[in-house]
Amino acid sequence: MLSLRFPISVEKVPLNVNRSPCPSSKAQNLSCSSCSRSAWQRAFAGATGLAAREEDKEVNGRMALTGDLVKLEEPLPSGLRWELMPRHVAVIMDGSARWARRRGLPASSGHEAGVRSLKELVELCGKWGIRILTVFAFSSENWSRPKAEVEFLMGLFERVIEFELQNFSREGVRISTIGDSSRLPKSLQKLLNKAECSTKDNSRLHLVVAVSYSGKSDIAQACKSIAHRVRDGLIQLEDVDEELIEEELATSCCEFPCPDLLIRTSGELRLSNFLLWQLAYAELFFSEALWPDFGKAEFVEALRSFQQRLRRYGSRES
Amino acid sequence: MSSLAIHLLWLLIHLVISIFFFVLKIANVLESYLISSGFLKKYESINVGKLRYLAVVVDSEDALQINKVIKLVQWLADIGVKHVCLYDNEGILKKSKDIILKNLSCVKLFEEGDEQSLRGKKTMSLEFASQSDGKEALAKAANLLLKKHLKLRSLGENQEEKIFTEAHMTEALRAVGSGGPEPDLLLVYGPVRCHLGFPAWRLRYTEIVHMGPLKSLKYGSLLKAIYKFTLG
Repeated sequence: MLSLRFPISVEKVPLNVNRSPCPSSKAQNLSCSSCSRSAWQRAFAGATGLAAREEDKEVNGRMALTGDLVKLEEPLPSGLRWELMPRHVAVIMDGSARWARRRGLPASSGHEAGVRSLKELVELCGKWGIRILTVFAFSSENWSRPKAEVEFLMGLFERVIEFELQNFSREGVRISTIGDSSRLPKSLQKLLNKAECSTKDNSRLHLVVAVSYSGKSDIAQACKSIAHRVRDGLIQLEDVDEELIEEELATSCCEFPCPDLLIRTSGELRLSNFLLWQLAYAELFFSEALWPDFGKAEFVEALRSFQQRLRRYGSRES
Repeated sequence: MSSLAIHLLWLLIHLVISIFFFVLKIANVLESYLISSGFLKKYESINVGKLRYLAVVVDSEDALQINKVIKLVQWLADIGVKHVCLYDNEGILKKSKDIILKNLSCVKLFEEGDEQSLRGKKTMSLEFASQSDGKEALAKAANLLLKKHLKLRSLGENQEEKIFTEAHMTEALRAVGSGGPEPDLLLVYGPVRCHLGFPAWRLRYTEIVHMGPLKSLKYGSLLKAIYKFTLG
């Protein structure tokens, strides 16, 4: 239900981007002089219209603010508060083949349209301060799809990564992959390694692509890794606990391994073996839109839904 | 003057949207009443056989409303669901297991092999789970596999590839007392659309439906959620 804090976002975007924390930004660092607001916006702009970005601090499951000011790249749509933005968003990009079938097109057209949706989402996440975006590109179960479709998808991944690599570097996007890469074509494996190495110092957005990934296999391989560490005398058997397993999961490459928000498109209500361990306390948002139709409006709806709910991470509010 | 006009316009928009949500809520309540009363015929013949295993996640604060939980489980038994798992993060439902079972008819505690033994009978099996059956149990199962691996290694056999498989993990979970089938459908009762740490190993292809807080528990909504699942 709407409250009186229904804000209208600032129309213009006069503010520059400053992703990394600015050491001297104790002072007001907003270039608001060119910020023109209409009378409408003056009447309704609340605290959320301010382009303030402060250091995150978690309080009772919500993000609260302390610290310095940096600049937003783009004002958030109305109803969204930047201090409640999720740090890590995971997406199951489902529905591309169905989208193509409805239009009488081959599945390949659906996947290509899906790439455009992904590019838009990466852009929005970068602009709105989301730190990590994990996307489920190809599951280990997908290997059983028709050979032609699988080959097309592998080719598509290669083309997109090769094409976008320079953009990622320019946009400050760091790429990582999770999943069993040994099943991927050698050329794709090589390209993914190259992409990971060349973007490893980028810090604006961490894009994690799950390819040939299975949540259960992730947990099993974590146990295997722990076995190696015990065998090598690095840890004792008694040290094996939940935290250790989490450290060995594929998502340990991320600053925040557990997603705050999971979005699945196409109306399916399942996790489909994606990040099973990591999604324990994630807000689950199931969108009816097919993946190629998932755009800014749908993403805003998911973020609004996330921000409206109080998440307690299993504890009780005192 | 203009700011007053804008303020009035804002109040008008707020009113329109509030009315819209109010009407939507009334429509949901009405639909639920119609389903419960049997006016909507399509809900009378649900193919419950498609729903082999149902799990219910209850927010720990809501789990204190034991009467509501008992009502929910009895409804599920009356609908004909054969196997139900009740989960709450803090284990409140586990601790209240005896009270819950005492107040239910045709419901028994879950045991391995119930799927076969309860076929054709009216009895429903009920399992209780909590956080300790989730990540904690996976860590214990990992320990078990690790001990097995170390033992085999000490005998000179390197069985690593054969020990750390998904199938062995499933077995190990059963051995530590946290086995159990993968639910077909998971209903979440709580303020947040989140499964609150339900055993991750069992959620691979489970459909997850958020039902809202337990205080707004309605038979019609429950029946509708199960009906929609059986259609798919």
